[in-house]
Amino acid sequence: MPNHSSTYQPDQGQRVRPAAEEQAVSVSDNKSAGGWFKTEQRRLIVQEYGIFLAFLLLVIILSFSNEFFLTGGNISNVLLQTSINGVLAIGMTFVILTRGIDLSVGSVVALAGIVSASFATTSETAGVIGSPYPVAIGLLVGVLVGVVCGSISGAIVSRFSVPAFVATLGMLSAARGMTLIYGGGRPVPALTPAFRWIGTGDVFGIPAPVIVLAVVFAVSWWILNRTRFGRYIYAVGGNPHAAKTSGINTDRIRFTVYVISGGLAGLAGILLSARTGSGLPQAGVAYELDAIAAVVIGGTSLSGGVGRVTGTLIGALIIGVMNNGLDLMGIQSYYQQVLKGALIVGAVMLDQKRNFGA
Amino acid sequence: MKKLLIALASATALLATSAAAQEKIKIGAAPYGLNAEFMQIWTAALQDHPAVKSGEVELTVFDGRYDALVQHDQFKTMITQKYNAIIFAPIDVDAGASAVQSAVDAGIPVIGSNTRVNSDQLTSYVGSDDTVSGYLEAKSVLDKIGCKGNVVIIEGPVGQSAQIQRLQGNKKALAECPDVKVLEDQTANWSRAEAQTLMENWLTAHPNQINGIIGQNDEMALGAIEAIKAAGFDVKSFAIAGIDGVTDALRAAKAGEMTSILQDARAQAQGALDLAIFNAKKGNYKPESDIWTTYKDMPWNDGKDKTYNVPWTPVTTENVDQLLSTRK
Repeated sequence: MPNHSSTYQPDQGQRVRPAAEEQAVSVSDNKSAGGWFKTEQRRLIVQEYGIFLAFLLLVIILSFSNEFFLTGGNISNVLLQTSINGVLAIGMTFVILTRGIDLSVGSVVALAGIVSASFATTSETAGVIGSPYPVAIGLLVGVLVGVVCGSISGAIVSRFSVPAFVATLGMLSAARGMTLIYGGGRPVPALTPAFRWIGTGDVFGIPAPVIVLAVVFAVSWWILNRTRFGRYIYAVGGNPHAAKTSGINTDRIRFTVYVISGGLAGLAGILLSARTGSGLPQAGVAYELDAIAAVVIGGTSLSGGVGRVTGTLIGALIIGVMNNGLDLMGIQSYYQQVLKGALIVGAVMLDQKRNFGA
Repeated sequence: MKKLLIALASATALLATSAAAQEKIKIGAAPYGLNAEFMQIWTAALQDHPAVKSGEVELTVFDGRYDALVQHDQFKTMITQKYNAIIFAPIDVDAGASAVQSAVDAGIPVIGSNTRVNSDQLTSYVGSDDTVSGYLEAKSVLDKIGCKGNVVIIEGPVGQSAQIQRLQGNKKALAECPDVKVLEDQTANWSRAEAQTLMENWLTAHPNQINGIIGQNDEMALGAIEAIKAAGFDVKSFAIAGIDGVTDALRAAKAGEMTSILQDARAQAQGALDLAIFNAKKGNYKPESDIWTTYKDMPWNDGKDKTYNVPWTPVTTENVDQLLSTRK
């Protein structure tokens, strides 16, 4: 395993910081290698565990502030409330690692949510002809809607060299418009119990959306850390020119990350519809911002090439825990917004200090 | 010569059609935004008005896209194109005033509908008093819990006129039940998903203590219902109320899960349109909508009133089926 990580680094010949899960392994292996590793090791510990320590600190503070915070039911609630943003943020991580951004995920959530709902409703007027269809169809359609949106954004970014900010800003508007056209601006109600299970069911007490998030996380971790495609993503984000000259099809990589982000946004849309019990045309407004916040808090650099999906997950959990904890304490949501803002900026300031200062 | 004749003929034809078009009354409707169900119903009701269907009135709807500036520009367009009257549902209480002023300066009457504007230049206003709905919904919750116990309030976006007035109404009803404690009071920005999260957290923070839920709109009340269901409680053991009468809420009311106070978008829209036509025709018009016979409490009064208050309709098991049948 350690060999694996140390062999591919020189391959790419650039500042590629592979997933720290692997780095931690390689560092512990090379402990005796000399003084250089001491500072490097310290740096890595802060980098690897800093966000995790911050998360633990937050949990400790909140559990002392409110007696209900650390109860089983509440932990399950926090995970449930984090699941949608978590799935979106993981998709966003792929995109941001390649120096891109996907502003369209909130609108895609609404579009996929309402389209999948229209395949799962028992309402005669709100559904497509023949609805309700089996759950698998609704699922497939929802993810497909996301994949199509992502493919369009991805193609515009990679083939036509339109900046990601612009391409996905266009998709943000277009997907919202299509949502309103599709549903006539009205919710799609009365979803089948089987479809709703995806949002409200549980397996041995673990809510279904949390399981979805866990699977998405595991697969994404594996892709980014264990596959060639994952290494290419880091390479493209770290140094696009070097990646291109070393023979990586950078256009294809950049296209694919938007497809992943779109598909996961579609999945998040299904979760939202299944959870609220309706396909809602107003859903997902500004969700992209929470997703980007989770990625940034989790230590992924907006300039690409550096970051980890584990950090993103913890970033999403921090946001979820904070919202939940402040709700439990009866603190107004306006303060939550201020705190979240401070957290985002604080996390990036720490990151800068780690990389260039101290 | 032949060409000239053709040109002349087509010119006359053009003139004739434009003259015919001028006989039609041009009315512009400027709703604050068309994304939510309420304004969809409002707009559909305008299109469904007898005078529009008969072709007597040419109606154009301008989507304000929730932006005061967009609405302002749309007013300019309507003024330039010499509309005969404007129906206005402003996004902002204050920002709409200058738009109204500019239309009035150009001699175009403006009829307010649904949302309020701080202007004394409106010819008339057709809407519903939100303090009344806030009072009615809170009252229904308090009646159900017998004027004792604990309630939570889920508010709209703080600062919007509907949130301010509904809260006033909520508080008026709560003042009549001094034993009732308000455990929590927060905004969920009219959003079902946000309210669901909020309610999940409140159910954790106040286990088995919440008796009533006052949602300032139906969407948020519906979110609370989902949270209660997900937590495994019996929805019917809570007193839950919302406002607006959106379709999902009517269904929930039918199932006995909540009460809703219907805000009649159709009456607000068609009433405003009747007044717009009345003023565009300088009083030479009789209202054609059936709403004036439906609501005896809101008399037409020869179109002279400054304010027409469309009554709220509490959704009950008796009227819910009839209300649902009006929704497609």
